Amino acid sequence: MTACAPKSLVVLAPDPDGAVGHITVSNPAGSVNIDAANQFTAIKDQKSAPSVPAGMDPTQIQVLFGKALAIQPPVPIHFILYFKTDSTDLLPESVAELPKILAAIQERGSEIISVVGHSDTAGEKEYNLKISTRRAATVKSLLVGMGVTGTLIDVTSHGEKNLLIKTGDNVNNEKNRRVEVVVR
Amino acid sequence: MRRMIVTLLSLVLLSAGYAGIADAQSFVGIIKAVEGGTTLERNGEVKAAARGMQIQKGDRVKTDPRGAIGLVFLDDTLISMGPNSEVWIDDYLFEPLEKKLSFIARILRGTVCFLSGQIAKLSPESVRLVMPEATIGVRGTHVLIKVD
Repeated sequence: MTACAPKSLVVLAPDPDGAVGHITVSNPAGSVNIDAANQFTAIKDQKSAPSVPAGMDPTQIQVLFGKALAIQPPVPIHFILYFKTDSTDLLPESVAELPKILAAIQERGSEIISVVGHSDTAGEKEYNLKISTRRAATVKSLLVGMGVTGTLIDVTSHGEKNLLIKTGDNVNNEKNRRVEVVVR
Repeated sequence: MRRMIVTLLSLVLLSAGYAGIADAQSFVGIIKAVEGGTTLERNGEVKAAARGMQIQKGDRVKTDPRGAIGLVFLDDTLISMGPNSEVWIDDYLFEPLEKKLSFIARILRGTVCFLSGQIAKLSPESVRLVMPEATIGVRGTHVLIKVD
């Protein structure tokens, strides 16, 4: 690849899980789409159209981007915990998830994790906001009780506003009575 | 000389921790890993970047010839940078319930890896990576960018 003038490059790489996305690179002179892995386009300046996508050797990708790739953080893990009706008690299978959450926090040395409370639509909106807040607070104290310290646990609640399973109003649905924990 | 550097670093960590608890709602991301001489500029003030520091909208991140950094954002987007690189977080909004979504990052120079998160999944048109020569639109993706 000859390069007399410096050119910027944009490469579409496979996701960590192997999936391949799609990008568009545009400027006033032109636009290209890339949807195949390890393809790149080179752009000289705003007056020159991005080059026709071509394949780049993975070895070359490593040479160019190795340092940035090596320091890429792990993708955050999302855990979902479920509750008994009208309660801040976790279902047994969710109690079993807690050690896995703790392990993930320890493995990653997490500095900030998020705990988001949700409810189903059974009952009043304000009540559901309250109970989802209490559920999120319960999960936080459970984690603190298990020894999660020095980590900022950011707690929020969405009440019935963010249903996992879309239901009508006043529907008792255990898949919506949940707390989501995001470990970074 | 060595003692001075250690003191400066612990001062930065201290202020980052305090800011963490006070600004829990305004942070948009966090520094997960950092190497070499890497800085974070916020409102004109430049501080040494440290693991655990929060990222806010408007932040400018710069690495020197030995530097590198890895960032995680609230919506699971990952940005990592190699040496001699500079990225500005021009806009970040992740409020899916209100359908307020936006991620605009400006890549001024260097090598940057971008792994998209929920904002790109929910609203691809809300994500823009701006290079000096072109703008990148993404749709659930892993993009490597080198600006010379």
